[in-house]
Amino acid sequence: MEAIIRIEKASKCINRGRPNEIWPVKDVSLQILRGEVVVLKGPSGSGKTSLLSLIGCMSRPTEGRILIHGRDVAKLPERFLTDIRRRLFGFIFQQFNLIQGITVRENIMLPLYPTERSFRDMKDRAEELMESLGIIERQHFRVKGLSGGEQQRVAIARALINDPEVVLADEPTAHLDTKLSKDLIEILRKLKGEGKTIVIATHDPLVYEQDIIDRIIEMRDGRIR
Amino acid sequence: MIKHLKILEFAISSLWRRKFKNLGIIFVFSLIIFVLSSILLLTYSFKKEAIAVLEGAPELIVQRISAGRHALMPVEYMKKVEKIPGVGAVIPRLWGYYYDISTGGNYTVMAEYSGLKDLVNIMEGGFTGEKGTCIIGKGISDARFAGIGSIIPIIGADGKVRKLKTAGIFTDESRIITNDLIIVTPDDFRDIFNLPDNMVTDIVVQVYNPTEVDNVARKIKKILPDTRPITKNEILRTYDTLFDWRSGMVLTMFLGAILAFIILAWDKATGLSAEERHEIGILKAIGWETSDVMELKFWEGLVISSLSFLTGLIGGYVHIFFFGASVFSPALKGWSVIFPEFHLMPYINPYQIVVLLFMTVIPYMAATIVPSWKAAITDPDVVMRG
Ligand SMILES: Nc1ncnc2c1ncn2[C@@H]1O[C@H](COP(=O)(O)OP(=O)(O)OP(=O)(O)O)[C@@H](O)[C@H]1O
Ligand SMILES: [Mg+2]
Repeated sequence: MEAIIRIEKASKCINRGRPNEIWPVKDVSLQILRGEVVVLKGPSGSGKTSLLSLIGCMSRPTEGRILIHGRDVAKLPERFLTDIRRRLFGFIFQQFNLIQGITVRENIMLPLYPTERSFRDMKDRAEELMESLGIIERQHFRVKGLSGGEQQRVAIARALINDPEVVLADEPTAHLDTKLSKDLIEILRKLKGEGKTIVIATHDPLVYEQDIIDRIIEMRDGRIR
Repeated sequence: MIKHLKILEFAISSLWRRKFKNLGIIFVFSLIIFVLSSILLLTYSFKKEAIAVLEGAPELIVQRISAGRHALMPVEYMKKVEKIPGVGAVIPRLWGYYYDISTGGNYTVMAEYSGLKDLVNIMEGGFTGEKGTCIIGKGISDARFAGIGSIIPIIGADGKVRKLKTAGIFTDESRIITNDLIIVTPDDFRDIFNLPDNMVTDIVVQVYNPTEVDNVARKIKKILPDTRPITKNEILRTYDTLFDWRSGMVLTMFLGAILAFIILAWDKATGLSAEERHEIGILKAIGWETSDVMELKFWEGLVISSLSFLTGLIGGYVHIFFFGASVFSPALKGWSVIFPEFHLMPYINPYQIVVLLFMTVIPYMAATIVPSWKAAITDPDVVMRG
């Protein structure tokens, strides 16, 4: 199997040289293969979110290399990173990170605004996703009033609108009850069936004990074991 | 192309989402533009009017001064002036003010003289030179509903009423100069104001060579020490400094408003809220480029500043030309000597408007864009952690 993402001895340092210097990710090497479902597992503060943002080109490593399709992106200009983010990745954030004041549909279409895709096209794609995630009746609601489970589906739809190869999910069940968590697993299963590569950061057994998980990477203090 | 439209659409929807905050900014911004543009429009129109009035004015006028006040001038003075080398014709003028009780208006009454002929083509009807007739300005004709042939009653110095027949009315184009003017024959003038035959109000001195005007004025002052020669250039210069938009009071008001604007811009620059920073982080994280975020902020700034600029400018225009600068009137009391009533014509100096645009819209745009740019160039994951 071909590796989509390869991380070589990557470290991330925050506040370097200052008294509050920390290394959320330390000397991590791993690779993620096409079509794989990988879990990053570890206690709170172990660096799961930080590693996930390195994988997704949301931040740059202080040391080491990140190879996407064999190309080192760590030193690429910001513009290229954004472009890779937009074409390759769909993010489901720990805190959802939806824009509260706008509607469900607008939130979902937001990644496609700075592209040449027509409004109609965007709308059709958004509706298709809302349909499959069961939030179509909520499309004109503001996000503010939605339940946690609904907000999460909006976040998932937004992550999928650009049809990404890789879906990155950070603590996707953190705000969900057991029933909703199981629904989420079903959504992930379906995505896996569509051939998507999925990386999930979680410490929820309900997630990492599922049969869809191909591999578990354990983290502690920024390192993997 | 579609991309820019979509970003613009999102900018407008974002502004609408924070409508109270943004309406507040638009309100303050418009208010400042309103004050600034009012000042500019007012001073510029004042200046234009003053200059328009003077354009048709004679190069050199000589008045007699007695006890520091303008006094009637004996006709003998004319002969003495005529003898000065370089002087062409010396034309006597008769004019004065008349308070009309029935309309409450202050008219300028002037006897017809040769220099007035220039105005013939800007009136309907015409000079007949007949005793008992008059030409009136548009303002008087409007106030009295008077047309050609209407009778204008004038109470003379003896308390008796003279009935003057309207022979002509000045048209609108000359309104600045002729609005409250009544032209009568010299005989009627002397009769109304009980003026002795050997006295005139002042004299217009024609000088062959325009560069000699100042020279001639000096000579007149020497020969006739109790006179005051007034040259047109001198008045023009005075008006110029009085109404120049860079001068004294105007500058003070202008700077005050600019200062207020800087405070607004500064507040905006430093006040990128946590919510806005978070939003920028989200946009970056879901694949917006820094330049896309900048474009969004650019549209937001442009919509706000152009809306405010237009509102303020239109407000200023209406304020000055429809409401006679009512907000400023306490500060402008002194100027009413020159324009007893505001009949300002709308004059706009495009250069000043462009300067105003650059001094406000550009700093505002910079103040909106720069902090957003700072938020947008940091890694999205840092922005989102707050
Ligand atoms: N930008 C930052 N500023 C300050 N501290 C940071 C930053 N990024 C990461 N950290 C710190 O690095 C460590 C790892 O953080 P990270 O969010 O990656 O952990 P996590 O495994 O996702 O934890 P959780 O399960 O609670 O989400 C934490 O101690 C965190 O406080
Ligand atoms: Mg985390």
